[in-house]
Amino acid sequence: MNHIITIAKNTLKLEVRDKIWIALLAFGLGYIAIMLFLSDLVLKELPMVKAFALLGIYFFNAIIALFLGTTSFYRDVERKTVYFILAKPISRAQFLLGKFFGLCAVIFLTSVALAVAYLAIVALAGGGFDAMGLLAILMQFLEMALFLAFAIFVSTFSSSLLSIVYTSVIFFLGHVVSSLVDDARKIGISGIRYVFVNILYYIFPNLEKFNIRDFAVHSVSLPWASFGFAVAYATAYIILLLFAAIWIFEKKEI
Amino acid sequence: MLSFSRVTKIYGKRKKRRPAVGEARFGRLAVDDFSLEISAPIFGFLGQNGAGKTTIIKMITGLLAPTSGTIMIDGVPSRDEASKRNIGFMPETPYFYERMTGIEFLRFCTELFPGAKRDDESLGKILKIAGIFEARNYEIRTYSKGMRQRLGFAQALVNDPNYLFLDEPLDGLDPIGRHDLKKSMLALKAEGRKIFLNTHILYDVEEVCDEVGVIHEGKLLYAGPVKDFCAGRPLEERFVETVKEYEKGKQDSKIMNQES
Repeated sequence: MNHIITIAKNTLKLEVRDKIWIALLAFGLGYIAIMLFLSDLVLKELPMVKAFALLGIYFFNAIIALFLGTTSFYRDVERKTVYFILAKPISRAQFLLGKFFGLCAVIFLTSVALAVAYLAIVALAGGGFDAMGLLAILMQFLEMALFLAFAIFVSTFSSSLLSIVYTSVIFFLGHVVSSLVDDARKIGISGIRYVFVNILYYIFPNLEKFNIRDFAVHSVSLPWASFGFAVAYATAYIILLLFAAIWIFEKKEI
Repeated sequence: MLSFSRVTKIYGKRKKRRPAVGEARFGRLAVDDFSLEISAPIFGFLGQNGAGKTTIIKMITGLLAPTSGTIMIDGVPSRDEASKRNIGFMPETPYFYERMTGIEFLRFCTELFPGAKRDDESLGKILKIAGIFEARNYEIRTYSKGMRQRLGFAQALVNDPNYLFLDEPLDGLDPIGRHDLKKSMLALKAEGRKIFLNTHILYDVEEVCDEVGVIHEGKLLYAGPVKDFCAGRPLEERFVETVKEYEKGKQDSKIMNQES
């Protein structure tokens, strides 16, 4: 466990020194700040401010997760920095888990910074303390953790560029699979085509489970069961992906 | 003692069928039935590029698993955690975390050894041995190649190891750097530590090594004292001669096989 913490701490330390992360965080904060001016000029209503701000947080977190997930682990292996680490009494599984938790910590830190800005903007726009907004950001964080696990999994067997492609495809599919099944039902697709859509639904993560922005925007409370299910879903998926990633990494000749 | 027992390493896909050296279809044979026992204080491993030296050092340090055979350090498999606690490894052309400072990198390496001394004084001592103490607070991305080599050497010492495995440690060092590193190696030897060294700089081997091993195409061609190997002749000459003799023998047996 200590080794995992050591790697995670080191990953966090290194990634927050990266100029790309600093720039993306600055852009994210700038974007939320702009919401304050837009609220008077264009958006007018509080729900619009919330919607755009939450979407911005989601966008910047996704970009950072994609960038970190597809480069950090791959770079260590490809540049052979792992030689220094894995020749020491630490297993490959510990290293990979440490990287994952370290990257999650970076996303968490980003989420916290953006959430503080978001709460300030909402309060200034006359919305008071937005607990549902916070929950929406937390759910976005869960999605990003899953996203990171997938990116690391892909990084164990493909190049950084291909990882970006695969992870982006999963990101896209993850958001459309649930509506694909709904649309298939509505249109009345049946037979092999319906089976195919269902296979897609069960293979790819359903990222829409983590999207509660509409609840937050309209201050509608989320049933705890839905929240609990989303947490369990993310945890199970992450564990599965990390197991697969470790299995591949253990066999990889570095 | 470091011992290898019938160690073979095949890179690639179909490991069940034994490939010939250089044959790519069934994987690449990098180390071929390698057996050796090393007890010399400083052992130099000589070979051309691609001879299998780095593969062997990576197998010792647990970065690679042998396809078959065993490697033991003091009777314990080298890939075991107990062995890893007792070794220091400096990889060839090290790549560091560029945004860390030298001292930060050493601290990070130390944290991977439970119980290792982590105070700045201990780490400073190691940095002084490696000759990079003055640059300890600079980011590694500002380091020259020689400074990186020195830092690579320093991180191999953080756990106070009994065995040191150095892969081309003198590569990229200027004459003073090479002199300092050789001096450090001899000082570590005097403290009773054992050093296993991969290199193709033969002049340095003659100076610091007690024994050498010559490897070519994954096969061990010679292992023993440097003086016995040289027999009064320059090491380079003997090394070239040994490799050529092996190549000639291989060629002759190929012709004989074709004729029969």
